[in-house]
Amino acid sequence: MEHRTDSPYPKKDRPILAIVGVLLVVSTVLFAWSDRKHDWRYYQYAFKGQVAEKFGAEQAGTIPRGVQQIWVSEMRRADRCITCHQATLWKGFENAENPFKTHLPEPLKAHPIEQFGCTSCHGGQGWAIDAAAAHGPVEHWEEPLLGSQLGEAYTLSADKTALMQMNCNVCHRFDRETPGADEINLAKRLVLDKGCRACHVINDRGGTIGPDLTWVGDKAPEQYEYGRLSGQKSAFAWHVAHFKDPRALVPETVMPNFHLTTREAQALAMLTLSWRRAPIPADYRPGLPRTDPQTPEEVAEEQRMKTGPGAWFVKTGCFVCHSVASLGVKSPAQIGPDLSTAVEDTQARFGRTIDDFLREPTGTMAVVLSRQIVLTPQEKAVAVQKLREAFAEHQKQKAEGTRPEAGGH
Amino acid sequence: MRAKRVQTQPPAAPGVHPRRWWSFRPVSDRQAGDAIVSNFLLHWFPAKSFKASMAWSYSFWLGTISAALLFLLVLSGLPLLFLYIPSVERAYASVKDIEYVITFGSWIRAVHRVSAHLMVAAVFLHLVRVFLTGAYKNGVGQGQRRQWNWVLGVAMLLLTLFLSFTGYLLPWDQLAFWAVTVGTNIASSVPFIGPAVRELLIGGREIEQATLIRFYVLHVLFLPMAIGMLFAYHMWRVRKDGGLARTDSARLAEEKAEAPPSKSKTYTLLGIARGTAPQIRTSTLEARDTTVNSVPDLTRRIAIVILGTIAAVGILAVFVRSPLEEPANPLITPNPAKAPWYFLWLQEIVTDTTVRIGSFTVNGAFLGGVLLPGVLLALMTLWPWLDRSPAGAAGLWFAQSRRRQNVVFLILVAAVLILTVIGTFLRGPYWHFYWPWQPWPELPSRI
Repeated sequence: MEHRTDSPYPKKDRPILAIVGVLLVVSTVLFAWSDRKHDWRYYQYAFKGQVAEKFGAEQAGTIPRGVQQIWVSEMRRADRCITCHQATLWKGFENAENPFKTHLPEPLKAHPIEQFGCTSCHGGQGWAIDAAAAHGPVEHWEEPLLGSQLGEAYTLSADKTALMQMNCNVCHRFDRETPGADEINLAKRLVLDKGCRACHVINDRGGTIGPDLTWVGDKAPEQYEYGRLSGQKSAFAWHVAHFKDPRALVPETVMPNFHLTTREAQALAMLTLSWRRAPIPADYRPGLPRTDPQTPEEVAEEQRMKTGPGAWFVKTGCFVCHSVASLGVKSPAQIGPDLSTAVEDTQARFGRTIDDFLREPTGTMAVVLSRQIVLTPQEKAVAVQKLREAFAEHQKQKAEGTRPEAGGH
Repeated sequence: MRAKRVQTQPPAAPGVHPRRWWSFRPVSDRQAGDAIVSNFLLHWFPAKSFKASMAWSYSFWLGTISAALLFLLVLSGLPLLFLYIPSVERAYASVKDIEYVITFGSWIRAVHRVSAHLMVAAVFLHLVRVFLTGAYKNGVGQGQRRQWNWVLGVAMLLLTLFLSFTGYLLPWDQLAFWAVTVGTNIASSVPFIGPAVRELLIGGREIEQATLIRFYVLHVLFLPMAIGMLFAYHMWRVRKDGGLARTDSARLAEEKAEAPPSKSKTYTLLGIARGTAPQIRTSTLEARDTTVNSVPDLTRRIAIVILGTIAAVGILAVFVRSPLEEPANPLITPNPAKAPWYFLWLQEIVTDTTVRIGSFTVNGAFLGGVLLPGVLLALMTLWPWLDRSPAGAAGLWFAQSRRRQNVVFLILVAAVLILTVIGTFLRGPYWHFYWPWQPWPELPSRI
């Protein structure tokens, strides 16, 4: 008869295995719970209640559920703020408390939320979905929410929410004045009044006695010397203290003390910290030159045409395609025929007088005159008169044999 | 669910196995052995296991724990493979997404990270256990090559460290970037070939996309493959060597109080084992007070260890957050910049042996980063051939005949641990010494 050897193990090991089983269940419950315990679930529930109360259950049913984000691919930002701040684009919650508050409509007109997200202006960590990590200040995240809390911590002299203007100026750095950014505007005036450029290069212009400040906002907080700074150790605090009394922080400096007020020093600190190379697409920055520069000859030529006898053709925009050689107007493109002989040409090509043609143009001119250069009947009469003058001049020059060369097809 | 009790049928014909199924609750020793023969996952176990080898207090099951952690690492690595993007522009954001919005993402990443750190510790402790018990020594069995299994083990420790080190870079945050900077700079202090080694390692002269893709491919493909193959070989050698070294010392003790020899049966395991492996000698097979059936007694313990490891890591991962620092910035060195913790004893030696005499600096990177670990590694690898103690010392904790080498070994282990603790917990900015109750200087922030 086959038998099985006795073993002392089952008696002790089975209860241990059972305990391990319980631990496995505990671990499963724990991680499932830790994945679910987010405040946004409560906020979404509460907001839904508010909408239902105000606008009815049907409206409340349209509110999306779960983690929400604005993905701005140009700036590689995924801002999940709207997971809790669901009222951002709703009308009717202007006076509610955050996160159930409607966004001020004015700034959103020029800065649509789909193109700018939230954090490019407000700061904070867009990836996060919990208030602490999203708002900061939190370890390992250098861009806290630039809200009134932080403003109060720094006892801003101006409006406590003014810190956000730093982020405005990342794009608006070439503006003389930016509507709504009072502190930055004040700081920009101070830069001019105090003559900062005497010693510092700012935007490629200025003296070389002090350091180049064009991108000083990118300097890491670790790169400042805090030895003589009392209180909070931050780049912003350093700049404020430094503006108030440069020598107190850097004894060997030659930078004079401008006896700035606290508000002025804070505004200048915001301005300097905003001078950074944030990864922003070029077309987000107003004021950047977007034309290829003209040569002095080209500028002089354009000026001559604008003041010469053919000025009307330049001003009206005809010269974009047509030269008017007899009046000294030379088109850069020369797509259309020279208008010096237009009076003759319309007869030859279309069998119509110039008045008739302009009243009811055909072909390309029909498109141009209906969309690009829209003329009233009075303006059309002026055009006919100008074209006749040009033709007369053409014939005169032809008779004298001084007709200038003109292109055209 | 309780496994079904299966009644044993006698074999229908020689060489034909009677049943396709087997039981975790065998009614006889034969049925217990059936499980080993007919289950692929169990076929690498012996039919009978020594009680002495299975004792919790002999091996502490550190090898099984290491294997369980490796299993967890592969398992938790698979979903990360789908989510992580190995590009310097996107890696950081993809890890942020895993942390914040992927369902269970932060837990999976924490499981991966906790297992990785624990595996370094478990493999190291396994090595310490094997040394202290002299388990790299051959005992009384034929064809034993335990010294080679020790060499395999050392290689696997190095692979474990390298796997962890390559994984360190992937999040592309400041911690990653600078830990790898410190690590690869130590490598470059090898005379003559150092800079070339560093260039090969990071795929250029700067830690950039080329480094990231190199580390990534090593981390997710080549190193796991290598460690998987060595693991299989390691296990195979354990069987070939007749089980844990503990069986040899148990057998020696048994032979001293020798019972009359019983009939001798010789099994060969699928025809690949040379000679007679000690654990299947009839004398031991029949010795019911020293062995138990592997199924279910060994398998139950393995289940306890593996599932226990999984449960422990699963719970730890809920509470241990995996930090993600600022995005990597080659222009700003965090202060202090530390290598991964298991290299901190080396970094500590490097800084302690860097001597400044006036303006003249003797760099300790060669001594602390190359020479010392190199010598220790070579000694460790060759030790089974240098250890001249008798075979009876194999598989015994603190054997009398190995006392001196155990003491020296323990002193070295203690030194490494103490330096690691100092480097990890007691070194602050500028590598200055701080007691745990001394606050570090406040770290500056931007605003």
